[in-house]
Amino acid sequence: MENLITTTLTLLIDTSYSWIRMFLALGLSIVISLFVGIYAARSKRAEKIIMPLVDILQTLPILAFFPFAIYLVILFVPGAVGVNVAVIGLIVTSMIWNIIFGVYESIKTIPKAVLEVADLYRLGILSKLRKIFIPAAMPRVIGQSILSWSIGLFYLVTSEIFSTGSTNYTVSGIGVDLTRLAFSDNYYGYIIGIVIFFCFVIITRFAFFSPLEKYFNRTQKQYVSTEDDHTKFISGGNVKSSAGAFVKYIKSNLRSFGLSNMRSWINSIYAAVKEYRRILAISLLVVLSLIGFLYALNILNGTLASYEYQSLYALAYSFIRVWGTFFAIFLISVPVSIYLIFLTKNIGRYVLLFQILASIPATILLPIIVRSTMSMPFHSEIVAFVVLFLSGIWYMIFSVIASHGSIPSETNEVKNIFGVRGLLAFKKIYLKAITPGLITGAVTAIAAEWNATIVAEYFTSSGIQNGTVLSSVNIGVGKLLDLTLNSGNLLQMLIVLINFVILIVVINRLVWNKLYNKVETVYG
Amino acid sequence: MDNQFLINVSNISFSFDGNPDHKVLENISFASGVDEFVSIVGPSGCGKSTMLRIIAGLIKPLSGKVLYKGTEIKHPIKDVAFVFQDFALMPWLNVLDNVKLGLSYSDLSDSDKTNRALDLLTKFGLSGFSGAYPNILSGGMKQRVGIARAIASEPRVLLMDEPFSALDELTANSLRSDILFMLHNKDISVNSVIMVTHNVEEAVELSSHIVILSEKPTKIKEIKEIDMKYPRNKHDKRFSGYVDDIYNTLISQY
Ligand SMILES: Nc1ncnc2c1ncn2[C@@H]1O[C@H](COP(=O)(O)OP(=O)(O)OP(=O)(O)O)[C@@H](O)[C@H]1O
Ligand SMILES: [Mg+2]
Repeated sequence: MENLITTTLTLLIDTSYSWIRMFLALGLSIVISLFVGIYAARSKRAEKIIMPLVDILQTLPILAFFPFAIYLVILFVPGAVGVNVAVIGLIVTSMIWNIIFGVYESIKTIPKAVLEVADLYRLGILSKLRKIFIPAAMPRVIGQSILSWSIGLFYLVTSEIFSTGSTNYTVSGIGVDLTRLAFSDNYYGYIIGIVIFFCFVIITRFAFFSPLEKYFNRTQKQYVSTEDDHTKFISGGNVKSSAGAFVKYIKSNLRSFGLSNMRSWINSIYAAVKEYRRILAISLLVVLSLIGFLYALNILNGTLASYEYQSLYALAYSFIRVWGTFFAIFLISVPVSIYLIFLTKNIGRYVLLFQILASIPATILLPIIVRSTMSMPFHSEIVAFVVLFLSGIWYMIFSVIASHGSIPSETNEVKNIFGVRGLLAFKKIYLKAITPGLITGAVTAIAAEWNATIVAEYFTSSGIQNGTVLSSVNIGVGKLLDLTLNSGNLLQMLIVLINFVILIVVINRLVWNKLYNKVETVYG
Repeated sequence: MDNQFLINVSNISFSFDGNPDHKVLENISFASGVDEFVSIVGPSGCGKSTMLRIIAGLIKPLSGKVLYKGTEIKHPIKDVAFVFQDFALMPWLNVLDNVKLGLSYSDLSDSDKTNRALDLLTKFGLSGFSGAYPNILSGGMKQRVGIARAIASEPRVLLMDEPFSALDELTANSLRSDILFMLHNKDISVNSVIMVTHNVEEAVELSSHIVILSEKPTKIKEIKEIDMKYPRNKHDKRFSGYVDDIYNTLISQY
């Protein structure tokens, strides 16, 4: 009994430590984001450099760069302070990017007239910041902070335990505690820890973020509430008929798999191949030149060549894992998004629920996930799938919800007036309406998945215990990074990272930019 | 009597929360027959758009009924189409597909729908724009797409919620005559128009009847018949007489 009380107390204190670091990191992220975001939005030159950089940085597994940063920080600020600074820094790198985007977009969408009035009254740069830029950015900043908070929590565990080379560092925090409790089979303690964590999440949402949201949205309150009313108003009473429509859609879709449509299927596949001919050709070229490159490198330096070979091999495996999981995320987020945007009146309540769910990171559940799948075949792949899935899904859903504003409020009325139903409604209205949100969501979801490979593909007790490997996929870039990190092979790590960056940039170029441009021609 | 009118609004009351003490509309009754153009005017926020949405079957009244050719309208039907103030084009569909949305009720094959939509676009002077997305169109063009979409399925009744208020005066004028032409042309399905407007002159120029509403809880103050031949001349004494009369009714306190 006494034991339980001390455990609870320790957990409470350590969770508080974690939360203090989270708050410091969030504050720091917001301040930096305000400066960077406003600067990027107001200066053409800065915009050209900062925004693509932020774009890449948010896609990269920052976690993997961290050991380098730790080395530096601890070099300059030794001792416990240095370690804590490093941990806060790590959390900042997970939180900051989408806040910067939020600030940038809010400043970009300030009506021109407002800026002209400011010039007319000759407001100085400071009063412009105080009276225009910061107030304009804050509602989005708070919104993004809620998301950032969940991301920060995801990396909490990882940020509190880390090793560089053979040295392990830990700080006091709930992340370390939970891992330790799980490893020592102290399930009571573990469950108490999870409950405390959950309580902290809920309290933070309601006692910290909700008042902030209210405060900073006060000027837009009118707008927000009328919008709410409107959705209520237009979707009222349509839930049942929409569910009916959905069933009809599925039926008619099944029918369309019939033979009569065989030809159009073949045609569309042919068209797709034709459209992506260029991409196929480029891929082939890339693969061939990589093979050539490897041969050449092998002649020059065998070790480098084997590092490069391992990197590519691991990237290929993780690519399949990340995109495969993304496919599952996509299949689930499409109907969920359509339900949220078109078929329910309670979108606000769902958003709150999802925000809370999203704040319970897969990383603190990892010990349980690992244990409970231990006896299954492909258990490490299942663990990887679950962690990747949980790290990506919320981005998709929140992104679609955020894009809700660009969907005309009369959409449902148009659909009902003109009797658009079934497959037609799905194709021409629902799916197309959420496409921009899906695309932006996909970019961030996949980025988050790549980020999470480091946690998902390889899980050991090092830093806490003897370093038993508990879950480890066969091959994967996250695992490779973990291994090179543990063995202190920084050269190999660097090579892996370079390949990683190149892959991410190439995918951005080939896939996302194309899709963005398409969306731009419709909405721009 | 029911069949003489296309649309019969009888004793409609409405409140947003279902509470009869918070009524927005109270006992509204009027009708619109063949070849008739009914305008609804009233103070802003009095419930005009709500009224029109009830007629369309988009929302249910608290009490009362809307009849189309004697049958109660309980949900949107093919014969009653709607033109929106902010056009309500789907930004993700090109002009052609937006118009084809209006043909969703019809059993035509996809290529027949395309042909019919292209025909309509030509009639509305939009033939070069079938592949364009709404974001590049001017307001007037957008509303023409909105009207083409509305009449694509050959409705008998056209409901319009301030269809011209987002347009400049010149564009609005040309669209007004288009609508009158459609109403009076026997080859075009539209037999009856009900329009909400803020613009009293517009109402007098177009309408056979004008329904004048009061402040909330909104009742009908008066239904005015405009007995003038088309096209109506704004400089005609009788025209300005009607306009003054309606203004006076609108601002009168009773
Ligand atoms: N979903 C809703 N819930 C509660 N009240 C609403 C809702 N939608 C509108 N209202 C209120 O009901 C009243 C009638 O609204 P409606 O839009 O029908 O008026 P309107 O006469 O068309 O106004 P306008 O002249 O501005 O177009 C307004 O006072 C409005 O604020
Ligand atoms: Mg209105």
